[in-house]
Amino acid sequence: MVDLPEKKVGIISCSGEACVEGTISRVATRLVLEKLRTEKTVTICLPLFLAGGKEERAFAKCYPTITVDGCDKLCAKIATERYSGKPASSIVVTDLNGNKNCSTTGPKRKLDDQAMGLAEKVAERIAQEVDEVLNHWK
Amino acid sequence: MSEYLQTVFDKFELRVHKEYHYTEDGLWVKIEASKVRVGVSDYLQRTGGDVAFVEVVKQGSTIERQAEFGTLETAKTTVSLPSPVSGTIEQVNGALSEKPELVNSDPYGEGWLVTLAPRNLEDDLKTLVNADQYFELMLKNLETEHRKLEVR
Amino acid sequence: MKTTMQRKVIVIPCSGIGKALGSISREATYEVVESLRKGVTETTCLALITSGDEETLQLVKTNKCITVDGCPLQCAQKNVKLVDGELAASFRVVDTLKENRRLKPKSVTFLDRDGQELASLLAKQVAEKVDELLKE
Repeated sequence: MVDLPEKKVGIISCSGEACVEGTISRVATRLVLEKLRTEKTVTICLPLFLAGGKEERAFAKCYPTITVDGCDKLCAKIATERYSGKPASSIVVTDLNGNKNCSTTGPKRKLDDQAMGLAEKVAERIAQEVDEVLNHWK
Repeated sequence: MSEYLQTVFDKFELRVHKEYHYTEDGLWVKIEASKVRVGVSDYLQRTGGDVAFVEVVKQGSTIERQAEFGTLETAKTTVSLPSPVSGTIEQVNGALSEKPELVNSDPYGEGWLVTLAPRNLEDDLKTLVNADQYFELMLKNLETEHRKLEVR
Repeated sequence: MKTTMQRKVIVIPCSGIGKALGSISREATYEVVESLRKGVTETTCLALITSGDEETLQLVKTNKCITVDGCPLQCAQKNVKLVDGELAASFRVVDTLKENRRLKPKSVTFLDRDGQELASLLAKQVAEKVDELLKE
């Protein structure tokens, strides 16, 4: 029997369309999944999670999760707590950016250099949290 | 007791029907009296992606083992379907023209593709693997191929 | 009382993060609300709808809504229906894909050319529906 890696962290990201921080949250999560911690992370699709996705909810119940929210409305965190349990860690993009309110003006879908820089910073932060969670889980 | 062997990889539940035979590519064969029913495994539908079109040869066509009897066109690629047995196509699953997503949602049930009247079933079965063997193959593939798995 | 000038159509994508189809739903929505039908459409976060945000619930219950889902699971449509939002139309990226078989979007994080093209095609369909809804 092949020994499969078992310790993984689920990342649940908001994808809020109302502000650029939602896009940043999404991009940062994808960067972690695709580049920074490919073997150690799983992304949980928030809409599917909210709609009752069996696999999404089951994973989030059994494995540690990190929520990534664009703003202090904390949709991903609230949904995770409601349907699966308290996340191991929560990241809010606006906290990392020093703003408290969402940026509703400016490009939301295509990140400019500054926003992309913030996405990369958020991705690094998520990756650090992944490492901490997995170390704690040993 | 479950009729499936199953594993969870990341968040995906992957099942293998215990009573079917399999090609190493991931097509299953169910023996039903004088005919066989053919479909794709859970793993194959998962790696292929959301099915948008199912195209198979016409009812009445004769097909050789390993010849392509159809394709699954998904959101990201086209999956070739080599026939697991030689024979004549008896039925084509008409439901898939309106609801190709059945291949994804119910690959071992309503997502079946065709039934065939087999010509050399005894010989052809020797080229297939059983559920346990396919399950092991799938687990080995998961290590290297898991990033192809799609959210369902 | 809402006048004709104040009426907007709310376009809600699923924005599913696991597949290119989700990214396309999001991109198509932005194309509609930021470009094709700017001023008469708005978007909102699906998660805010489900979390019960008062302002968002008010928005989807008092304006006509169009959902744009990536795949047949139709999470946006399901969630809007769950809160009794005024669902006027639903689109699925997978249907636009069926109409344009040559396009094979692969990239999820940043859409590739096929993904962008699909998003534009879908955005036009949504925009036409917006026009219909605003005439009613």
